Amino acid sequence: MAGVVVHPQMPTVLGPTVLPGVEAFGVEANEIARLIAKLRNEPSPASLRSTPRLAPNEQPLETRLFDALAAVKILTAQVAMHLDGEWRRKLFAQLDSLHDPEEWESGDEPVSQSSFATFLKAILSIRPERRPGLGLSHSGNLIAAWTTRRDRLTIEFLPNDRVRWVLGRYHDTEEEPARYAGHTHVSELVEGLSPHHPEHWFSDASKNHEPS
Amino acid sequence: MPEQPYKRPPITEAVIGIRFADPIDSATLDKVASAIKPLYPREDILKGVQFQMRLDATLPTAPQSIEQIGYRLSSPDQTHILILMPTPPSLTMSQLAPYPGWDQFFGRFCRDWSVWKKSVGYIKITRVGVRYINRIDIPMVDPIVYEEEFLNVYPHIPEVLGPMMQYSVQTQSYISDIECVLTLNSSVVPSPLIGHRSFVIDLDIGKDSPPQNDTDLYDLINRIRVAKNRVFEACITNRARELFEPWLE
Repeated sequence: MAGVVVHPQMPTVLGPTVLPGVEAFGVEANEIARLIAKLRNEPSPASLRSTPRLAPNEQPLETRLFDALAAVKILTAQVAMHLDGEWRRKLFAQLDSLHDPEEWESGDEPVSQSSFATFLKAILSIRPERRPGLGLSHSGNLIAAWTTRRDRLTIEFLPNDRVRWVLGRYHDTEEEPARYAGHTHVSELVEGLSPHHPEHWFSDASKNHEPS
Repeated sequence: MPEQPYKRPPITEAVIGIRFADPIDSATLDKVASAIKPLYPREDILKGVQFQMRLDATLPTAPQSIEQIGYRLSSPDQTHILILMPTPPSLTMSQLAPYPGWDQFFGRFCRDWSVWKKSVGYIKITRVGVRYINRIDIPMVDPIVYEEEFLNVYPHIPEVLGPMMQYSVQTQSYISDIECVLTLNSSVVPSPLIGHRSFVIDLDIGKDSPPQNDTDLYDLINRIRVAKNRVFEACITNRARELFEPWLE
């Protein structure tokens, strides 16, 4: 590699690369492109999806719901190593229940992948000990809610890493709760909630105060 | 201690793929898909189209297209996937995270391979490959993550260029003890976690003209797995290992 200052750093146990190094850059551009293409691994099986004959809104309801569920379960697999197995299993049960075709309201949208990606980022950032109740907006945004006594925290996970949250908390003998809300990037969610002591909803200790 | 060294292995997808010499007709693929359906309740059709075109202007010009039908079979939680394709004729078995360990993964392969052979019979195998896609999520304590503290595979550039924002490394090497070719792809990828920088190490180890009988085929796949572990461990540093939470011996 004398004279070359840009090269891949490789463990020595891997041995020399099979493809010629410096010499390869002297051939025609299409030959370089061919060699680079040869090095690329194929798309992974998980990324292979069928191409539906019909537009989403023309597909049978069960197909639409299943496809949406499958997509978010594959998204979950991307971060499964950071999730507790039981937590993941119960999450899937909640999602399956939310997409029960027999309970489905026509006109509603199944969970959107983009909203779900925001949800995963938020959950892995907050790491709540208590599981939230889950719901869906009409447009397919996932909504999570935690309730402790009469106090409630609701977060809507929007596409493109945005979150909208609202909380209501009763103080002492007040009849009306103090209400706070925010609409931020998901990376600012923890910071946005912190003045409101979110452990009130997220910690296992708060579980004893769940409404019956 | 479990058979895998880490509590949280960074494997996002593990794959065993078999390619065959002869095309597989749709009736045969239907038969396999039907036989294996109880193991993979979800079935999706994969479509590919091949075009035949004549370049000789003196001959009729109408191109002919042939629709190729394959199957994508999967478990309800989408962690088990099986792809059956007529072109290239292949059987590809995939495991998404959470990775259950080699014994379960290889056991599933043996199970599916047995169903395949009962339905299809013998077709010459032209390639066997094992692929592991790992994603290493590194918490960003500083705005810059120095990949060399975690990885032994990365591009080396002059210091004057400053830290790399993005990169991709692609190499091919020969693993002589198992006579296989390793294709290694590593790159920076968007992290699915807040406050992290993520790197993929995608290892594909394959052999053309592999053994045709099951005993030797299984032995080869197991040896590829050992080589894959060796390569992966060579590609990471102790700081990366800490992220996967090694089991204490």
